[in-house]
Amino acid sequence: MKFYLVDRILELEPPKRIVAVKNLSMAEEYLADHFPAYPVMPGVMMLEALVQTAAWLVRVTTRFEKSLILLKEARNVRYGSFVRPGGQLVMEVTALEIGPDASQFKAIGRCEEQVAVQAKLTLEHLNVADEAPDRADIDAMLRPFWQERFRLVGGPQALAAAAARKP
Amino acid sequence: MALSRDEIMDKVREALVDALGVDEDEVLPTARIGGDLGAESIDYLDIVFRLEKAFNIKIPRGDLFPDNILSEEFVRDGKLTDKGLQELKTRMPYANLEAFEKNPNVQDIADLFTVDMIVKYIEAKLGGAGA
Repeated sequence: MKFYLVDRILELEPPKRIVAVKNLSMAEEYLADHFPAYPVMPGVMMLEALVQTAAWLVRVTTRFEKSLILLKEARNVRYGSFVRPGGQLVMEVTALEIGPDASQFKAIGRCEEQVAVQAKLTLEHLNVADEAPDRADIDAMLRPFWQERFRLVGGPQALAAAAARKP
Repeated sequence: MALSRDEIMDKVREALVDALGVDEDEVLPTARIGGDLGAESIDYLDIVFRLEKAFNIKIPRGDLFPDNILSEEFVRDGKLTDKGLQELKTRMPYANLEAFEKNPNVQDIADLFTVDMIVKYIEAKLGGAGA
């Protein structure tokens, strides 16, 4: 099961920068245990939300070339304020470098102007076919899947807005 | 095997450095596990596990970091109820609850988990220690 933790991309300036949001809903099942009388977004989910935001910047910058974008390393991960149901985590990710196989980012997530989470991220990008040539069919299935999701999270609109802002 | 407080502190420091990826010199007695050293929920489990191994003790679930406190019984509107405060005092005899008591916001509970609190807990678990 995969948690989709990016609800919408607000700003998108490939290859440099992306801003996206995740709205925390009382309906998210893991909140029932975290914690019973005081639901808050788990730190690891906040980190994953940052990773997914960075992954979108990779996809757009590399034209959805690689179907798997994975977290390789998270450094200097710091947590601040909690994100509570009804709250919105605004994730700002800046790329230090995006290569064909790997990328580095500075990522920060804020909720109501306070820093909730920050981290330095290294992602790696690959196709399943790179490891298992006979499974290129998985990549062929994933590529349009992620392109469709890009539309679902408002990617094209964010790109258009960025283009409109250019002088 | 009786360990001195310094020896306990050294092992606690090592466990925290390994669990949280912080530098040794960040692990001061007054450092808060959450606010200063950057721990979040999943880290607390890791810390307990490493302490158990380092000191060859068993730390029952919720003994060091009382997670049962965040239940309907003890919390109302983001604050601990009187019953919750009582429960917290019973479960964390090594924590300094003075300031917290005045405004017992749930979101501030993590501030009570300091390095010093852990050292005291371990000391008591090991049956007292020399200086």
